[in-house]
Order: sequence, then C-alpha cells, then structure tokens
Amino acid sequence: MLEARDIRHRFDERVVLDGVDVTVQPGVLTGLLGPNGAGKTTLMRLILGVIEPDEGQILFDGEPVGPAERLRWGYMPQERGLYPAMNAGDQLVYFARLHGLTRAEGTRRAHELLEEVGLADRWDDRSDRLSGGMQQRLQLATSLVHDPDVIILDEPFAGLDPVAMAELATTLTDRVAAGRTVVLSSHQLDLVQDLCEAIVMLDRGRTVLSGPVSELRASSGTRQLRITLPGDRGWLAAFPAVTIASDLSEELRLALPVGVDPLEVLDAARRAGEVSDFGLDLPTLSELFLLAAEHDDLGETPRDLDRAVTAT
Amino acid sequence: MTLTWWGGTRLVAGRALAEGFASTSWKVVTGLMLLVGIAAVVIPRLFASGGTTYTLATVGQAPPALVAQLDALSRAGDFTITYDAAADAGAVASAVRDGTADAGIVEVGPATRVYVQRANAGTFPALVSGAVRATATVEALAASGLSPGQVAALQATPAPEQVVVGPVSDEGRAGVGFAVGIVLYIALLLAGTGIATTVATEKSTRISEVLLAVLRPTQLLVGTVLGSGLLVLIQIAAVAVPVGGSLLFASGSAIPTSAAPDIVLAVLWFVLGLALYAFVFAGLASLVDKVSEVGSALMPVNFLLVGSYLIAVTVVAVSPDGWVSVAASMFPPSAPLVMPVRWATGSVPVWQLVLSMGITLATAVVLAKLASGIYRRGVVRTGQRVSLGTALRAR
Repeated sequence: MLEARDIRHRFDERVVLDGVDVTVQPGVLTGLLGPNGAGKTTLMRLILGVIEPDEGQILFDGEPVGPAERLRWGYMPQERGLYPAMNAGDQLVYFARLHGLTRAEGTRRAHELLEEVGLADRWDDRSDRLSGGMQQRLQLATSLVHDPDVIILDEPFAGLDPVAMAELATTLTDRVAAGRTVVLSSHQLDLVQDLCEAIVMLDRGRTVLSGPVSELRASSGTRQLRITLPGDRGWLAAFPAVTIASDLSEELRLALPVGVDPLEVLDAARRAGEVSDFGLDLPTLSELFLLAAEHDDLGETPRDLDRAVTAT
Repeated sequence: MTLTWWGGTRLVAGRALAEGFASTSWKVVTGLMLLVGIAAVVIPRLFASGGTTYTLATVGQAPPALVAQLDALSRAGDFTITYDAAADAGAVASAVRDGTADAGIVEVGPATRVYVQRANAGTFPALVSGAVRATATVEALAASGLSPGQVAALQATPAPEQVVVGPVSDEGRAGVGFAVGIVLYIALLLAGTGIATTVATEKSTRISEVLLAVLRPTQLLVGTVLGSGLLVLIQIAAVAVPVGGSLLFASGSAIPTSAAPDIVLAVLWFVLGLALYAFVFAGLASLVDKVSEVGSALMPVNFLLVGSYLIAVTVVAVSPDGWVSVAASMFPPSAPLVMPVRWATGSVPVWQLVLSMGITLATAVVLAKLASGIYRRGVVRTGQRVSLGTALRAR
C-alpha cells in the first residue's frame, strides 16, 4: 500500500499542496484527479522523491520510502519522456539497467515489452522517427520494463485516440489484476471514471473528495431518475423530497436526494401510467468535483465533505 | 538490488557516449578533427620536400669529384641537387635557357664555363662556381706533389661554427601553442553545448524526473559531464594523436619536438577547462523550459569563452609576458585557454603554470557545487524559464 500522509509543499511563497493524503491499495486502480494546476504533478514528484516535501511522509507498506525502494517503481511522465536520438530498444535497456537490472535481463525484458506494446519490429528505430502513437506506447514500455511493483503515470490518457486509450487501459488493468499498485493522474475527470476504482480529487492543493468511485457517485445526492411517461404529474405528491429537474416532451427528470429509493419512485410512476423508458443517472466525476469544490469554497474542510458524501 | 553511486553515474555517462557514437554530427566532427590532425602533419612536410631543389645540366655524366663537392654543400645548406646529363654544350645551354636547369657547366677543367639564364642568377651558380674551383684546387694540390692523405686533411678543415646571436624564438612551438588555443576553444564549446543540450532535452521531455526518481542529481550531472566530455576528448585525440605520433615516430617532422609536452599539457588543460565550464553549462541549461532556449541561456558563459579565446590568440600570442597576458592566464575563466598559449612561447616559469592550474581547479570545485545547486532546483521547475535568481535563492 502506497501512502502520502499530510503532504505540504510550497514553491517560493506559493502553496502548492496544503495537507494532502493519498492512499493507493495494490490491485485497485486509483486516479489522482483535479483541474490543471491542482497540484497533481507536484504530488507525483514528491511521491517519486524527485523533490522533497516541506512536510509529510511518503510510505510504502508503512515504511518510509528511499532510493532503494524506488528502484522497484515505474514512472511515466506527462511529456514524451524519451531520448529523441536513441533507438527504441537501447532506450528500454537503459531504463531497465537504471532500475537495477543487468544488461542481459534488461535486454530480455525490453524484447518482451516491445512485443506487448506492439513495437517488436521497432528495436532499431530512433524514437523521434516513430509516430506519435508509437512513442506513447514506447514510453509506457519504458516505465514498465523492470516490472515495477508501483506504477505511477502522469496524464497517461492525454492526447490518446480511443483505440490507444483502450489498449492502455488493458495494459494497466492487467497490472492491477496482478496485484501491482497503480496510480494515474488526469484532469479529464469523466474520461477515467469508468476505469478507476478509487479516486483522490485535488483542487488548489487540497483533497476535496476521495474514496471508491462507485460509492462516491451512488451516494452523492445528485442522482437523477429519468422516466418517459405521458400525462399528469400529480402522483409525485407522494414524494415531497423529490424535485423536478426538467419535464420536456414526456421525458421527466427527477432529482433524488439522499435517502430516497429510486425503485419506489419508479413503481409509483408505473402505477400512474405507461412508462416507456427509464434510467438512473449517477453524477459524473466532474459534477461531483464542482459540487465538492463549491463546498470547499464555503469553508468546509475536505474531511467534513467526506463525511457528508459517505454518510448515506 | 541497488545501484551504487558510481554504478548509476557510469550508466548515465555510458548512455551519453552511446548516443554520441551513434550521432551523425559526432562522426562528422570527429572525422574533420582527424583530417585536421593528419593535415597538420602532412601538409608542412609536402612543402618541406617541395623546398629548394636545384638542377645542374652537364655534358654527359657530371664528374664524380664535382658531385662530391656539391653534395657536401647541399647537406650543409639544406637543399637538393639533381643532375641533367645533356648531349653537348648546345643542349646544356638550351636546358638553362628553358629553365629546366638552374645552371649548366661545360668543359670541366681550366676552361670550365658556367651557363646561367641571366646575369646575377642567384645563389646556385655561385655555389657551382665555388665547387668547380674547389675541385680544381684539390687537383692542383695533388699535382703539386701532396700525398692523398695530406689533400684529404686539407679538405677536412672544419667550417667555422655558427653562433646564433638573434633573439631565441621557437616559432614552430609558438605556432603549436596558437593551434592548441583554437582546438581547446572548439573543444570546450563542443563539450559545453553537448552537456547543455542533454540537460535541456532531459528536462523538457521530463526524462529528468524518471532519472531523479532513482538517481541523485550529482550522479546525473557528473555522468552527463563525463559522457559529453569523453566524446570531445576523443575528438581532441583525433587531432593530437597524428601530431604526437609524427613527433615520436617520424624524423624530420615540420612540427618542432619541443612542442610535444605542450600537446600533453593541452589535454590536461582541456580536462581542467571542462571541470570549470561543464557544470556551469549544465546549471544554466537546467533553467530553460524548451531545448530551443538553450542558446540564449548559455549566452553569458559563451561570451566568457569567446572573450578568453580572443585574448589568447590576440594579446597573449603577441605579448605573452605583458601584464594582461599574465593576468588572463591566472584568471580562472580564461586560464584554460590563455595559459597553454603562453606556455608554448617558452617564457613562462613553472610556478606560474602550477599556480594557474591550482586556481582553476579550486574555482572549478566551487562552481561545480554552486551549479549543482542551480541544476537541482532548476531541473524540477517546469512550465517556464526559471530565473537564475530563483534557482539560487530557492531552498
């Protein structure tokens, strides 16, 4: 288990991280989310030891992390972290050896990884002569070549086409299934909501939301029940807590507060007339973020918000 | 499984070397350097062998006694004589007239005449006349009854010793010093640019972050400096090895043997200069956000290097012991370029050389510490160009 505890960091006078806690369980793909400038990259650099935090601790399985432990970690930075003039194979062997593998082991692993990301025939190609998509795959291979226990990826989905996204998702979920500890950052919150099982959401250097994605979405209190039903809306009188979000050409959208069972509302609707379509829309992560950021602005601490969200 | 300090540093240096060996520009520059080194040996020699050669036209084979006299003169005067055997006096005259021969002689003996192309034709006809007279004198002496041993003794009268009273200047060696100045300047510039480009590339691609997760900044810095420095050292060797080899193994080199220690010293000065400048180049390059900004970030240090070079090849070459030259050879930024040029003039006391090296080395250590601090802070601040002030002040 990877933990960052109460991390505080400033660049000059600017506070970048203000008491952030992150926990990443092995086997649970975790997203570090937030808008640009939230402090995600700085937090990753601190976790990786590239910079030292002003305050706070980085722990792995409860122990402080040092360079020896980080040899078993893999990191994929946001830019194309590749030497433009080096060929693909040598690049992989170099990073493997930097992480403590022998040349022979590194070469063997490099061949395996190039095979896995579909670049088996590209060993001798300079990385700046590869297409953008190939460079992204090579970069991923670079961070995985030493079979790391902890995998940290900064904005891995930025700029990927849907096919490449799906391939990357498969590669990562394979590692997660094998019990690796995987954390990735993204500013495109909705892009990763179906991939990440748990999230930590940052805003302006503070944690605004954290926990399992399904729980956070289901318990948010901003669920909407969508029902296509003609006729009178008088039956709604039985649910005083439920409000009408919109009612356009027979499609009725109802906002369900925490504590209202959507199935009871649906049953009442079916008794009132013929329901031709229905669905329960959970809030997207960006909707949850906006809501949480708003609470944060009102002066509530992230901890209070956590309780409000999970109190259902 | 851990990586030792040296293990990690060696990996970084090895990577920089491998990338250099694979790059076309490195191969081209090294090839050019090798050509320069070979040219420095071969071209002066071509001129030397194409030096003074005189041709003497004779009727039939030249008389052995005359040839012996002329050969002795040519050895003493450092020139070569070839002989052109013509059919008769008319052919000798026309050979001289056409210029295929520098002089011609007919009727060896009391009636000897020397043919020249025009009046006052220069040294060679005078030498030939002298040789003819000497030959005649020897014959006359033998005819007057002296024994062959006595004639030989007279001929063996030694020539007066030549005493040099002009200023002692070894122009060849000073020329080597001048060339060393140029090569050192180019070498430091190449190494510095290589280091700066590597640092800026690693920072702009965020490779530096992957590296810094497993390496300490000093490993990355020292490894990069070692790798880039070795690449340029090989290029210097491409110039120095042919020149040094010709000094050691070939006789009659156009480059004076007295310059051999200067060439060894030049390599030492490159290492010192690299130690002084390399970390500054790396520190400044760590401030940029894009590789394209490297040029402007390096401007101040490039100015320093160009200024030192200009002092070395202008002021120092003309007046190696003037106060400007002495000061510039002690001032650390210019010492690596100025001192080798001064030293090659042969007038620098050893204590000045040692002092200059000491000052340079001490400054290099201080600058390396300062620059690694700048590097450590600069390389993690991405998104915009970091000011030097920020990099110096920040924690």
